[in-house]
Amino acid sequence: MAREREDILKDLAESVLNMNEDLAVSVAREAIKAGLDAFDAIANGLVVGMNKAGVLYEEEEYFVPELLICSDALYAALEILNPHLNRENDQTKIGCVIGVVEGDTHDIGKNLVKIMLDVAGFEIYDLGRNVPLAHFVEKAKEVDAQIICLSTLMTTTMDGMSTVIEMLKEEGIRDRFKVLVGGGPISQAFADRIGADGYAGNAANAVRVAKALSARVVAA
Amino acid sequence: MQVPDDTQTSLERVLSYLQGVNPQRIACFPLILNHASRAINVPVAKCIQNAELFGKAHVATYRRYGNDLITFLSTTSTLAEAMGQKMDFIEDDAPQLADPLLKKLEDIERVKIPDFTCDGRLPVYLQATEYAVAEVGHEVCVSTVLAGPFTTAAALRGADVFVRDLYKNKEWVHELLDLCCQAGLKFIDEILKRKSLPIVVEPIGSASLVSPRMFNEFVTPYLKRMADHIHANGGGLPAVLHICGKTKPNWAPMREADWDIWSLDAVDMAEAKAFAGDRVTLVGNVTPANLLKNTPDQIDAEAKTICEKGMGSPRGFILGSGCEVPINTPPQNVDALINAARRYGRFKE
Repeated sequence: MAREREDILKDLAESVLNMNEDLAVSVAREAIKAGLDAFDAIANGLVVGMNKAGVLYEEEEYFVPELLICSDALYAALEILNPHLNRENDQTKIGCVIGVVEGDTHDIGKNLVKIMLDVAGFEIYDLGRNVPLAHFVEKAKEVDAQIICLSTLMTTTMDGMSTVIEMLKEEGIRDRFKVLVGGGPISQAFADRIGADGYAGNAANAVRVAKALSARVVAA
Repeated sequence: MQVPDDTQTSLERVLSYLQGVNPQRIACFPLILNHASRAINVPVAKCIQNAELFGKAHVATYRRYGNDLITFLSTTSTLAEAMGQKMDFIEDDAPQLADPLLKKLEDIERVKIPDFTCDGRLPVYLQATEYAVAEVGHEVCVSTVLAGPFTTAAALRGADVFVRDLYKNKEWVHELLDLCCQAGLKFIDEILKRKSLPIVVEPIGSASLVSPRMFNEFVTPYLKRMADHIHANGGGLPAVLHICGKTKPNWAPMREADWDIWSLDAVDMAEAKAFAGDRVTLVGNVTPANLLKNTPDQIDAEAKTICEKGMGSPRGFILGSGCEVPINTPPQNVDALINAARRYGRFKE
């Protein structure tokens, strides 16, 4: 007999939180078989687990490996659930272009931010690492993004963030986007100095800042 | 404000720490790595691939700044490079990892213990070390820096995959760490042979990346082997460890690894002092990005605060940069850092 919805959702959340990819996949299959709405399973199961993992990360219970393996479980289960999503669940998501600026190939931090923003319901356009600065601007225009997230671990490449902002200004489109910066050498002071809209010190915080920034966009 | 004159050589100053007496003023270790290329005006990639230039750059840096430690390092992936990992050389920046050597678990067969006479840039490091020791070794401490096993392993595998292996392929990780440790111990021998101080950096063991539990399981045992090796073969030299980023959550397992001098980055020096007690000498930790972006006055103020927190540490405190001095740091900011040691690093009579 099929289990209750609540039990399945709880298992989905816990399989992600406990880094159990095999369980996440099998419970996702069970959810479909039991007739659960795929959107329900994602939003009230998998995402709940990933958000709990994010809290543990902030509390320094989880670190980078744990968060990445939780996300592996999440994405494996999503592959099962996504084909069953109803079109009517499609909300207009807030577009977010993200990448590691030119000259830098360190992308673990950027990937964590991408995962947490994805889970938080943003539409992510990941340009990868060592991204030519103009690509951020081009992509943001092309997809009509609201947020541009720039990451770097290196002091030699941090000024590229300022260049992106200058490019937006030169094109007269600075107001169309919120620019969020982060990474090892980046600080709130640096963000302020280059005229970025937000700074986040870690992936969990990036979500809060991005949400606050996009709320302002909507209000405006 | 007047900067008091130095009355000791750099070497005398540093030796005071080992003898357990107060130096005339605290030492200052700005971690000048690729920034050294600026002292001889050559692009970074050229400087770090040529033993003569690499050596001359660091000697010229010392003569320019009077830093109390010469640090031969261009990237923490140098040992991995000599073990078969490909690097991308960038004209005026540190090299970066190309595609990982260890795409599949069975690729571990391809990892070799390097030949120090010819593999990668090991000869560049070692010849540059010889040059500096011969040139200025009588007045300043020369060090040659290598990555710890955890960092070398992550470079060979790709950090994003490697951190997953910590859960999924534990035995394989230990096998790889053992190889990286063997290579590191040989590197330490080559460094000691040249009368240079081996310094180990383990950035991938940062608490910005891994937990105390992982550190205990995968970092401590191998770092301990390295510290023991330095203690057994270093003729009284201390074991010096640098870890970038946050480290506080991992201080307890770091202490188990038995390193004498800790160079720390994103930490509160007062907290570090309380933890270090009489076991560890502390080095740190002016924010690297501030060295690049702030004014000399701001550097002075930051260094002063750090000195106030670090001074009085029972095993000694050394002012330094939290991590690599950024390549394009204005020279007057390095001066400001070292002058801060002269001003705020003095002891009451």
